[in-house]
Amino acid sequence: MKSSVKRIAALPVAVLAVSLSCVAAAQSPTPAPDSETFDVEQLFAGTCGFCHSEGGRAAGKGPQLMNTPRDDDFIRNRIKHGKQGAMPAFDGALTDSQIDQIVTYIRALKPRAG
Amino acid sequence: MKTWWCYSGLPLVVGATLTVSSALAQTVDTARIEAAGQNDWLTYHGSYKSYHYSPLSQINAGNVGNLSVAWMHIPGRSTRGLQSMPVAADGVLYYSGSYSRVFALNGATGEVIWSYFPELDEALIARQTHSPYNRGVALGEGKVFVGTMDGRLFGLDAKTGKVLWETKLIDSQKLTVGFTGAPLYAKGTVIIGSQGGEWPGRGPIFAVDATTGKKKWEFLTVAGTDDAMKTWGNDSWRTGGGGGWMPGTYDSETNTVLWGTANPAPLYDWSGADFKTQGARPGDNLYTSSVIGLDLDTGKLKFYHQELPHDAWDFDSAVGEFVMLERDGQKYVVHPNKGGFVFVYDRNLAVKNVWPLVQNINFVKSIDPKTGELIGRRDFSVGKVTEMPLCPYIGGGISWNSGSYNPKTGLYYKLGQEWCMTLDIQKTTPVTTPQAQLNIGADFKMAPPPSGEIYGHLDARDPITGEKKWEVRYPEPPLGSVLSTAGNLVFVPDSRGILHAYDADNGAELWNHSDGTGHQGGIISYSANGKQYIAVTAGFGGMLSDDYAPNFGGVYKSMPRDDGALIVYSLK
Repeated sequence: MKSSVKRIAALPVAVLAVSLSCVAAAQSPTPAPDSETFDVEQLFAGTCGFCHSEGGRAAGKGPQLMNTPRDDDFIRNRIKHGKQGAMPAFDGALTDSQIDQIVTYIRALKPRAG
Repeated sequence: MKTWWCYSGLPLVVGATLTVSSALAQTVDTARIEAAGQNDWLTYHGSYKSYHYSPLSQINAGNVGNLSVAWMHIPGRSTRGLQSMPVAADGVLYYSGSYSRVFALNGATGEVIWSYFPELDEALIARQTHSPYNRGVALGEGKVFVGTMDGRLFGLDAKTGKVLWETKLIDSQKLTVGFTGAPLYAKGTVIIGSQGGEWPGRGPIFAVDATTGKKKWEFLTVAGTDDAMKTWGNDSWRTGGGGGWMPGTYDSETNTVLWGTANPAPLYDWSGADFKTQGARPGDNLYTSSVIGLDLDTGKLKFYHQELPHDAWDFDSAVGEFVMLERDGQKYVVHPNKGGFVFVYDRNLAVKNVWPLVQNINFVKSIDPKTGELIGRRDFSVGKVTEMPLCPYIGGGISWNSGSYNPKTGLYYKLGQEWCMTLDIQKTTPVTTPQAQLNIGADFKMAPPPSGEIYGHLDARDPITGEKKWEVRYPEPPLGSVLSTAGNLVFVPDSRGILHAYDADNGAELWNHSDGTGHQGGIISYSANGKQYIAVTAGFGGMLSDDYAPNFGGVYKSMPRDDGALIVYSLK
């Protein structure tokens, strides 16, 4: 069973922009307006899941996120500011609303069927 | 066997007596690295032959029981442990720690001669995933060369540590990546490859003038030629990958730099079997997961072999070893691949043999030992991989640290890793702004092999045929480099923190000692003031060792991941 929040539509993101021309674009200090689809599951498969195994369902280099006892503020803060030597800071890459969607994704995580 | 006796017929003190006086130090140049003087360790791989072997025999199978700690050095701020390979010249040991901190130490006493801590872009480093470790420095022309995570290469005065030049080579703010690997010095040129595999970018390898720091050339491992551009369908070269994040070597006979390249991005493609026309990056994706030969003077590609065309498993070729051998009049180059195979080439990188170091490989059924062609490859589509786990694990059947070839025994001592992974392939879109992010392409988790438990092993094998002479097993895969010596010894620093010494002929353990924390870096031997030393870096943490606590528990649960030390041994 896929997560119930697999596709969260109508949310930001420059960071997941389909356009490849931005490879050559000048660096922007702030993310682009929230105008495209933000897919948290894809974000996990691209970036977060490298450390948070099985899309956050199991411990890997980083802790298991499913059923985490941490509160929302802690998770938001950790995503924004990272942890030295363990997790990068994403405050320049993700907007507050995107981070909120990640928290929602984490709260909805269930074991995958099969 | 731990008896007191001097190795018959071998000198107690090999070579001329040395002092650490810089006044007596000789310039490290290409000829000297080529000659591989027995007292020194002049490049990441020891010499251009890349043997990771010391001809010193003062410490030997007969007296290794008397090995003890001579001195230690704490570099501080060892975030993600200590991963570097020291180098040594004229009795001075040079090494780097996290954040590219560089030290020059009296090889006999550990006294700090100088240190240099570059001022780095800390805000950038806080946003990087594969950071801030550094894996080594290079020596040449009276300088020490080191790369940084914010995309710079430094030339330091080897006597004082003073910055002679610094050159910005990568826009790390945009591309995220920088330099973690050691540079290579050859003929007035410093070569260094960038990180790259997991990020959108073109994975450059740079050549810089050793005297001035001026960039001489740049080779793009992603679509670096017109022919290569055709192997990235749908302009997927823009999603990139590649890079050459471990140092290769230099073949003076052909004036060629030999380098291994990293994987394309995303690591895991959803193309299925139609990877030539479908998926994230249709085509072979040259020159990723390849070994390449570049002209030292121009950077032009002379020859290459793509070990994994369209690598869909992150089993790249960035392992830096190019072991230069000669047998029966034929010259060979031996290069391990992360997927667990060892490739044997001629000096122009034409395949001569391929043999598996590890048992648990199923990303292909086999590799043709005559041609290098992949046979029975597994190309995944979107969704959970159900039939069997992918083997090896993303950590590789062979990791990035180096094995050792001992010309006295004719054996290649190499660590293999037996582990697998579950995998759920996802379509991803590369994240490129405001700063490039990882592009993995799957959710995954470490898993045991279908045949049993995870383990690691040190093999003693014929490097050309792969024939195994002996093996030592470890409950968790060791991740450090291996050293062998003319004292008939093989040293293995393991993940639990134990440094082992084995008899090079039969694998019998002769000595061990705890370094107090896990190893994942280099080990060398050198001579200072006529005395032989073994220097090893200890300090765990990083992109592979961070997997150990959740998967293996035990000593790893309390093992620090922000600590490290250089530990130097000699005979009592």
